[in-house]
Formats: sequence, structure tokens, C-alpha cells
Amino acid sequence: MMGNFFSYILQGTAITVGVTLVALPFGFTLGLLMALVHTYRGTILNRAAAGYSLLMRGVPPIVLLFILYFILSGKLVNLSPFWAGSLSLGIVSSAYQMEILRGALLAVGGGQMTAARAIGMSRLQSIRHIILPQALRLAIPPWSNEASIVLKDSSLVYALGVPEILRRAQQLSATTQQPFLAYGTAALIYFVLVFATNRLLDYLSERTKLPSHP
Amino acid sequence: MKRTVVFISLLVAVSLVLAGCGGGSKAANHLAAIKQAGTIKVGTSADYPPFESVDASGNKVGFDIELMTEIAKRLDVKLEWVDMPFDSLIAAVQEGKIDASISAFNYSEERDQTIDFSDAYYTSEDAFTVAEGFTGAIVAPQDVAAFKVGVQTGTTQDSWLTDTLVADGALPEENLFRYDRVDQAMLDLKNGRIDVMMSDYVPAQALAKQLGGLEIVYHGVLSSGPINIVIPDADAELQQAINAIIKQLQDEGFIDQLAVKYFAE
Repeated sequence: MMGNFFSYILQGTAITVGVTLVALPFGFTLGLLMALVHTYRGTILNRAAAGYSLLMRGVPPIVLLFILYFILSGKLVNLSPFWAGSLSLGIVSSAYQMEILRGALLAVGGGQMTAARAIGMSRLQSIRHIILPQALRLAIPPWSNEASIVLKDSSLVYALGVPEILRRAQQLSATTQQPFLAYGTAALIYFVLVFATNRLLDYLSERTKLPSHP
Repeated sequence: MKRTVVFISLLVAVSLVLAGCGGGSKAANHLAAIKQAGTIKVGTSADYPPFESVDASGNKVGFDIELMTEIAKRLDVKLEWVDMPFDSLIAAVQEGKIDASISAFNYSEERDQTIDFSDAYYTSEDAFTVAEGFTGAIVAPQDVAAFKVGVQTGTTQDSWLTDTLVADGALPEENLFRYDRVDQAMLDLKNGRIDVMMSDYVPAQALAKQLGGLEIVYHGVLSSGPINIVIPDADAELQQAINAIIKQLQDEGFIDQLAVKYFAE
């Protein structure tokens, strides 16, 4: 009976990891695009990107989740609770990732762009071959923060009925009246996941470090 | 903040317009669509024993669970459970994400405005629970106003406390503690953070027995009363079909047997 208890909560891990693996890359792609637009584009697009970031960071993730699932989904495209939840979290995360990446792009410095243009590279080429390789390396440490936040925020999808770790812990806490055990198990799983993610990113950051950026 | 509000209203407006344009091929009515699909999607919040909960292996168990299983069988469709927090269930029915919901829902006029109810399948009472050693006196329900009171958010008990005791000033708002779930509130009650917990009588009995050190000092119908299955607004066919089955099950004594199985002390 105790074995079932733990394995029931553990089964939620696949969903938690799944939500994170959709939300993070989706947020990264959108965030990088926005960061590039915000840093290198003219006034209008620049403003639009800034507005997007302000808006998305201003809306509580749960509100976006409800809008996407209960109001929009089914009218535009029919999203399952899993996808509606993951994409909402990805959208929220994209605003934060945009700011992280924007910081990294700015940290590379304007001189590099000028130099790249001077040897005949186009703007796009300069960004791709000179700016991005440096900026993405610089972004890893702050980005690992965002990765652990998204991993833990993935518990929000329970509001749409996706049975991830936390929802399973809640159910078992209600059934067995052992909240400490149930939530303790959930906390332990989250800790292991976040720990592993952070170590992996630390390793990546160490491996890709440039001699010029100690 | 203002941006957020503008943005949300914009999204809502856009989605309403799109909803208006929508349409397309559909079965004659919701019941026909369910039969055509061969599956009824029913929402529940499986954290409310003995009505609905999961056992240690994750199977759904409880009074509502067994009742709905029988109803689906008699509708001749497969039953698909969708587990959601209690707060999300009515929105899910309203937006057509699930076909119906069974989760010990009490009838209330506010709820009736956006969704419909089946006939009652059981009548529940409210209870006031205190920790053993509680020295205050609760003779009439209004007496709880003198204490720190706990309640589950969004329940009929929540409305009763808010509309009667808080509205006329007897119970200060800061002495009303709203919890996500009844079992969490009962633990706080046991630990002395609140003095009285107002909830449905049946789960209160189950929790008092399970947790120990708790005592029910009053029970009677204040806010709760009949409990019903929640179905979409103006869905006459599904309502009639479910009502007919509930009537059958009552006549056959099926529901009484379930009550003895799950609620007997």
C-alpha cells in the first residue's frame, strides 16, 4: 500500500517534466525572437516587444491559463488541458526569458557589432556568428533560474485537471490524512528535478565558458 | 495593472466574437453527441472523501464515483473521469470542457444562473466541528460568529457565512478563514488555528473519525440541502435522461445502499 502511495505521486513526474519540456523551449524561442527585436529593431517593433514583456509579466500565470483553456481553446484550436497549460506557461516564461536574453545581448557590447559590420558582415550575420554565440553563453546562469521556476510553476496546470505531482499529492493527502508524507514526497521529487536541472546547466556553463569571460 | 485589464477584456472580446462566428456540424443535441461519441466526460474533485477521492493506487472511489458509474452504465456510454480542483468544475461545464460534473454540489441560485442541476440524489446537512476541549457554547448556528470560523472556498457554507454572519457584521471578515480544501481546514482546527469549522455533515463525520480529537457540536440544514449533478445550462435532454436514471436508482434502493456503504458510522 505504501509502495502504491509513492508510485502514484511519482507517476506525476512524467507530466511535470513534459509540461516543462514544452514550456521552456517554447518560451525560449519566443523570448529570443522578442529579445532580438527589442535590441536591434526600430521603434515600433521595439515598443511592441517591450509592451509584450510588460503585459506578460504583469498577468498572473493562472489567469493566462484560464483564458487560454476555458475561453480561447475550443473556439480557435482545440487544445487539451496539457497543451493549453504548457503553452500558457511558455508564453509567461517567454517574457522573462526575453529579459534574460536581452541582458545577455546588451552585455556583449556595441563594439562587437561595429567591428563585425566593419569586416563586411551583414547585421544578421553579425548577430548569428558574433553576438549570439557570446550572449547565449552569458545567459546560461540567469536562465537556469528561469528553468527551475518554470519547473515548479508547472504545478499550476493542475487547475485544468492535469494530474501532475502536486495534484496527486493533494489527492493522497485528502485520502490518507498524511499531508506531511504526501507533500514531503512531492517536495523531494521537485528538489531532485530542480537540483538535476541546475547541475546540468552549471556543467554546460562551465563547458562553454570563453577564456575572455572568466 | 491597467494594461492587464485592457488586455484581458480585449482577449475576452475577441474570443466572444470568434465564438459568434463559430458553429459547424454538430449532433442534434448534447445527449445525442454524447451517445454518438460513446463516452461521457464527467468532472469531479477527487479530494473529498467519502463522496469522491482516490485510493492509494490512484483509483477513484466514493459515493459519487459509484453513483456516476452506474448512471453512465444506464446511459449506455463509457465514463471518462476528469479530475479538477472544485473551483474549476463549474467553469469547465460552462465552457463545454466536460459534459457534466458530480462533486457533492449543493443547489444554489447563483450557481443555477450559469449551469443547470439534475434532480437531487442525496440530501446533505451542514455541521459545525470543533476540537475536543473547546469551551465555547454553540447552541444556535449564529453563535459561531463569536469565534474564528473556517470554511471551504466557493461552497454553499462559504456563501451562508458570508451572506448571513459577515454581511450583518456579526462575524468580522478577518475571523472567517477560507480554505482550499476541507481536510486542510480540519487539520488547522485540530491544531488550534481556528475554533469552528463549517462544512457538510457527512465529510465532517468521516474526517472527525479519521483525524481524531474533533467533535461535531451542531448539524442541520443551513446552507446545503439536496446535492445534485451539474449539467450545462438549458440542456434539457441530458437533464431528463439523468433525472430518469436517478429516479430509477432511488426506486430500486440503489442510492440508499450506497449511502449505507459510504456514510454509515
